[in-house]
Amino acid sequence: MDAHSAVPVIEVRDLVTRLGGATIHDGVSFAVPAGKVVALIGGSGSGKSVLLKVIIGLLRPTAGVVRLFGEEVWTLAEDDLNRLRQRVGMLFQDGALFSSLTVAQNVMAPLEEHSSLARDERMEVARLKIALADLPASAADKLPNELSGGMRKRAALARALALDPELLFLDEPTSGLDPIAARAFDRLVRSLCDNLGISVFLVTHDLDTLLNICDEVVVLGQGRLLGQGTLAEIRRIDDAWIREYFAARSALEV
Amino acid sequence: MAAASQLTADADMRRIRVSGAWDLRSGDPFQVPALPEGAWAEAVLDGSGLTGLDTSGAYVLLQRLKAVGIDPATLRYEGFDARQLGVLRLVTERWPQALAPARRGARGLFYRLGFGAEQAAAHLRGLLAFLGRFTLEAFRLLARPRRFRVREWVVQLQAVFVDAIPLVIAMIFLLGVVFAYLLGFQARQYGANIFVVDGVALAVCRELSPVIVAILVAGRSGAAMTAQLGTMKVTEEIDAIAVQGLSPFDVLVTPRILALLLALPLLVFVGDVAGLLGGMFTIRGQLDIGYTLFYDRLNSVLTMDTFLVGLVKAPVFALFIGLIGCRMGLGVARDARAVGFATTSTVVQSIVSVILLDALFAILQVRMGI
Repeated sequence: MDAHSAVPVIEVRDLVTRLGGATIHDGVSFAVPAGKVVALIGGSGSGKSVLLKVIIGLLRPTAGVVRLFGEEVWTLAEDDLNRLRQRVGMLFQDGALFSSLTVAQNVMAPLEEHSSLARDERMEVARLKIALADLPASAADKLPNELSGGMRKRAALARALALDPELLFLDEPTSGLDPIAARAFDRLVRSLCDNLGISVFLVTHDLDTLLNICDEVVVLGQGRLLGQGTLAEIRRIDDAWIREYFAARSALEV
Repeated sequence: MAAASQLTADADMRRIRVSGAWDLRSGDPFQVPALPEGAWAEAVLDGSGLTGLDTSGAYVLLQRLKAVGIDPATLRYEGFDARQLGVLRLVTERWPQALAPARRGARGLFYRLGFGAEQAAAHLRGLLAFLGRFTLEAFRLLARPRRFRVREWVVQLQAVFVDAIPLVIAMIFLLGVVFAYLLGFQARQYGANIFVVDGVALAVCRELSPVIVAILVAGRSGAAMTAQLGTMKVTEEIDAIAVQGLSPFDVLVTPRILALLLALPLLVFVGDVAGLLGGMFTIRGQLDIGYTLFYDRLNSVLTMDTFLVGLVKAPVFALFIGLIGCRMGLGVARDARAVGFATTSTVVQSIVSVILLDALFAILQVRMGI
């Protein structure tokens, strides 16, 4: 596992995406090193969500190369892609928990498909993941609609952790949470990254998330890469959108 | 490359070696046997032989250690890399949280029986309350007729009545054919051919057409109402209507129920005609009773009373189908699963109530001697 550390977990090269005639990405290249928390930011319509879909293999790009763990996503056979996906966890914006299953069953669903564990063992692993996502054990037997927004995000995180992924994608992890719950969620993500060595790639609008937990930031604008680096480096980039983005927080020291 | 997960101890009980793959992807740590009982207090955990460790592996490892009385917090760890130590630390920290028992009791037969009965009673209560609400709103509408949503009503009438005509014609026509054929088969043996006309006319107009049309409409329109209102509830559209100072009842429920109240009697009439035609064609082919003779006999058998008895049921069925469909839609909880449940429940409740009401009508008619 450590032999792979030199290989970036995500590598995007010269990516071009066109959807219905509109060019979403026009030659985007960047890499995400292993073991880091990297954020993707950009204005509305800058193609963040589409980029995420392209990287996890849900949307085929027009041109360019996307590599996960050094393997090219869009030339893999279906089986190989699915094997690759087992090393990746995804937290959808609204959780996307299966509404007819309890939280524990949601977490057990990927284990049922991809492991040879017995039912009791799956249940134990599910309970562990629920605890890792910092949910009380009583949440395990609840249905998603019985949970608050913050708890639903944690339950979705527990499901994303089910197969012990090496890379975690988070789509707007703190949207819809109050500031206290949002910061707690940030801390949780950071502690998972530090303790379990998981690399995290997240899309966010939340400046506090950037300040608190992100090692690096990737900025998209008008379909191009505006820059990549630490928060301090990004702030120095001379771009109208970036200036405006940080203006709200200019009083804060980074 | 992936060696099996192993947990071995030195003979002097001072060193426990963890080796192999302790992750679900390449090994199966759950198969590791327990450590022998003994005095492990001084032991050191040696992880230099590990080729992989994930949270599940760490969980099993800690479980095996605790089983022989070793406290992971005071244990000395050797030969683990930083990431593995991190995994162990996090799992140790969160482990108690995973174990807290929170099982709901198993749901036995009596629980389910009681739950079902309670739900049925709740549905009945809710339906009565909804009927009251609708009556109240209907009177308010009489006082201020301008509040009536004509456009929504017309749209619903199109969906419930016009679009259903071909289906109703096809279904009841075929039922008329089948009924006449079976009846004719029996009647011929007694030379009672002409009475087949009586049978078909009574059956179609009094029972077949009203009940079958009501069931068709319950499945078609009642379910659609629940699904539509339920989805609107999930997407908060109904709240949006209320916030704009409009009554969701006025805007959505009243036009739907009033459309059904008009549509169902009309559809039953369409069904009557179709069923009689189906019977007429069959009788001519099977029993050699011509159209004129059929018409003459029909004229003397099918009195206005019989015809009306069938037609009068229709608005009552319609009222209940509409009430159930709208009530279940508005009562949906906010998730995708609930819409499906509510729609199923609407169809079941509507069909059951149509049949119950029909039985009630039959008893009333017998008492009244119609």
